[in-house]
Amino acid sequence: MNMIQSIIFLIASMVAISGFYIQGIEFIIANIRGQSIQSILIASLSFIMGFLERSLDLIILGIMVVILRVILINYFLERTIPKKRKFSVEKYLSVPYLLIVDLIFIVLSVILIYKFVFSSMILRESIAPSNILVFPLITFFQGMFLIASRKSTHTQIIGYVEEENAMILFGIFLLPIPLIIEASIFLDVLALVVISSIIVLEKNEHNPVEDLIG
Amino acid sequence: MEETLLLETISQVLFTLLMAPLFSGIMVKLKANVESRKGPSIFQPYFDLIKLFKKEILIPSTSGIFFKIGPYLSFSIYLFISFLIPVLIPTPVIFTASADFLGGALLFSTASFIKVLAAFDSGSNYAKLGASRIMSFNFLAEGTLITVFFAVSILTGTNNPYTTIELLTSNPLSDLSLLHLFSLIAFFMLFLFETGKIPLESKGVQELGMIDSSLNFEYSGKLLALNEWGSYMKQYLLGSVLLNVFLFPWGLFSGIPFFLIDIPIMFLKWMILIIIITVIETSLAKLRLFRIIDYLTVAFTLSVLFLILTEVISV
Amino acid sequence: MIFNNTALPILILLVPAVASITFKWGNIKLATAISAIIEIFLSLLLYIDKPASGVFFIDNISVLFIFMVTSIYFFSSLYSIKYFSQHDIYISDDLYFLLLNLFTISMLFTLEINNFGLMWVGIESTTISSALLIITERNETSLEAAWRYIIIVSAGVTFAFISIILIYYVTGTLTMSTIINSSFKSKFLVLAVAISLMGFGTKSGVFPVHTWLPDAHSEAPSPVSAMFSGVLLPVALYVIYRVYEIYPLKTVYVWIATLSIVMAAIFLIYQDKYKRMFAYSTMENMNIALIGFALGGPGIVGALILLLSHSFSKAGAFYSSGNILRLTKSKKIDDVNGLYENSPITAIALLFSSFGAAGTPPFGSFFGEIIIFFSLYQQHFLVPFILVILSVISVFISINFNVTKMIFENGKNNSKIDRSMEIIALISSIVPLAIGGYILILMGGLV
Repeated sequence: MNMIQSIIFLIASMVAISGFYIQGIEFIIANIRGQSIQSILIASLSFIMGFLERSLDLIILGIMVVILRVILINYFLERTIPKKRKFSVEKYLSVPYLLIVDLIFIVLSVILIYKFVFSSMILRESIAPSNILVFPLITFFQGMFLIASRKSTHTQIIGYVEEENAMILFGIFLLPIPLIIEASIFLDVLALVVISSIIVLEKNEHNPVEDLIG
Repeated sequence: MEETLLLETISQVLFTLLMAPLFSGIMVKLKANVESRKGPSIFQPYFDLIKLFKKEILIPSTSGIFFKIGPYLSFSIYLFISFLIPVLIPTPVIFTASADFLGGALLFSTASFIKVLAAFDSGSNYAKLGASRIMSFNFLAEGTLITVFFAVSILTGTNNPYTTIELLTSNPLSDLSLLHLFSLIAFFMLFLFETGKIPLESKGVQELGMIDSSLNFEYSGKLLALNEWGSYMKQYLLGSVLLNVFLFPWGLFSGIPFFLIDIPIMFLKWMILIIIITVIETSLAKLRLFRIIDYLTVAFTLSVLFLILTEVISV
Repeated sequence: MIFNNTALPILILLVPAVASITFKWGNIKLATAISAIIEIFLSLLLYIDKPASGVFFIDNISVLFIFMVTSIYFFSSLYSIKYFSQHDIYISDDLYFLLLNLFTISMLFTLEINNFGLMWVGIESTTISSALLIITERNETSLEAAWRYIIIVSAGVTFAFISIILIYYVTGTLTMSTIINSSFKSKFLVLAVAISLMGFGTKSGVFPVHTWLPDAHSEAPSPVSAMFSGVLLPVALYVIYRVYEIYPLKTVYVWIATLSIVMAAIFLIYQDKYKRMFAYSTMENMNIALIGFALGGPGIVGALILLLSHSFSKAGAFYSSGNILRLTKSKKIDDVNGLYENSPITAIALLFSSFGAAGTPPFGSFFGEIIIFFSLYQQHFLVPFILVILSVISVFISINFNVTKMIFENGKNNSKIDRSMEIIALISSIVPLAIGGYILILMGGLV
């Protein structure tokens, strides 16, 4: 691996690490910022690869990620947190336990799936070695675990956005999806977040409901 | 060759023994200067040790036999570790083959366990408080220590600390892999915990912040001197592993008379480490006690994650 | 024909859009009803005049689905006008109809378009447009149900996106017609087909990712539940079928569908709320249709008959449930008695709907199920055959036990509801009878 490839590898691994960061933070506002950090990393990856491959599509993709994911989603989600309570935390959270369970989950699921399935995929070799695909996979499972382990609505939205981020990363590395589809995916996610922000205003926590069992 | 080996061994052990308090003294003085105080002289730890050796030993009546022999045991273990790890000389010296990286990590654990056991044996409440605190954090710290050492072994394909240095120095810079980077971060976090720096532990007599120093609560005289000296040596050993294996593996020579150059080079490297530690100590606040476990979990997660990733994707 | 070839699908998409524009002027209810009538005619026209493959891909299967969507859209919009006329709801009436139109447009878009990526986009947009419809009557449980729907379905459909990426990676294109007509062989395609079962199956009631189904159906208002059961789940099934055609993984699909049917039958035994009961029956029917699609040949015909009659029956069942809810204000089965004496039309509609949903002869769903069972037996899937038949019998017994308890037990209740709501429910539940009768005549003509 030469220098550029190492940098791409490093940024991709930071995306996976930021997934752990989001998992381990109690403050809701920090979760939202963590997601925007992830999106910025993905956008920078897209820019770097766009310059390397001289592909306009990837650069436009990076700009769209920045606008839609970083700016707009943050704006919509932060509007739902009342200004005076920016420090609000999610209650009854035990960080080390969650981090270690997360680690076990990631190790089991990603390692198994990666080893048996994805290890034979060939990427465009000039960009990065093929085993970079493990990082989007880790991020995807991080998002799933975030949704499963938390009760607060905000964090579950962030988990869903993290899954979508992993998809974009997957698409960037594997084969760039045609731009129209990427654009519509972004708009979908945006609409979903808008709708969720309506729900979030009403309901902040999700506990088992008596009527909905069975 | 035999005399070279003997000289190198003696110089490594003596350097560890004699210079460890000096580094601690420099650290305290630098931190005081940053805080606009004058601070004690850099030889103050030596004066303290000499004073302690002259004082009488008081033993609590509720203590057992382990209380008395504990300091001797842990001190000798630390001395023994200085043979195993490349803290001064980059090539193997006498007794090196007794234990490798894993053995070194286990010996560190043994030494801290003996200290805790001895403190427990003293029968005093404060010492027991400190002992229970340490034990509740140690399970993650030991795990991180061992996995970090494994990470280095996987990188270089060998478990011998000395060959590790050689392999690391012979590869060009761009081969520095992600595993190395993240193990470095995890080990640095662990180093701050083991040597009791802010943000994890505040030195001084307030028992709210004490973790390590509470183990010394009941000791006095020679035993206290041995314990303190052992802590300085532990700090020096861990810091040297951090420097020589992770951060800057270069710059160490072996063979007469070049190994004498190693002494100022180690000084220089330690200065860099001391500066980094001072910056961290003076800019962060101490974590609350139950947050320490979060900190250690992060270190553990980083080290284990990249260890397993290396195995899967050979990064 | 007088229409250009691709104009007809575009027109189908545009008509509800035009109706939605009248949102501003407050006539949206009337506009929706008119557009629904126009849509049914357009879909019948589509059967006669199909465009060639290009941007849109319409074949006989798509036309059937489009017809299903437009008919249920028609019934639901008429029912909604009456259902909400005297009650306050959380979102305004006009917004409700706007969302209903958008929902229909997104489903029709998914059915018509020729591109896998855009089909995925269509499925996601159905989630978006239907999410707010669930919380029409605002209370704690409906918010929770809507949230579960959003998160579970979105997470699952995102998982399905991996399969779309894999398809693109292997074949280099996303156009459905080219991929299905050529044959690609790659282990990644196997993976893609398996992932899409679990991913799109989240929206279609496949075990174990069906968990949002009963919650959303029981908390949403009845016309919305009818659209969910009647058309949304079949649309997701359509997408699964299209992906399946790339590389048929028959055994996997048949076994997972069998497992879902067995689980649906088990869950149905414990139900004490009638809407959840119907929701589990939907899950069972969808998976029988999935088996039919997976088996191919006559199985596809059986699945189509089943889906068509099931959508009408289930819509009728949910309309009747809405009537019962307005009559008795309770969602539990035990609180409802004596329907036959109070409102006989609702009782008959409920009875016919539940017969149709459970697969009783001579309703159309019975014939569909028989064809599928026969294909199962013919293709030597003996254990699934036995399991499915046992589950269907169990479902039949559970549903009819509960429904007859609701209808024929003695009880007095003097509320009244609008006659037209009951009529709509009745019409919707009789259509499968007509389909069944038509098939009987066909068979009689053959024999």
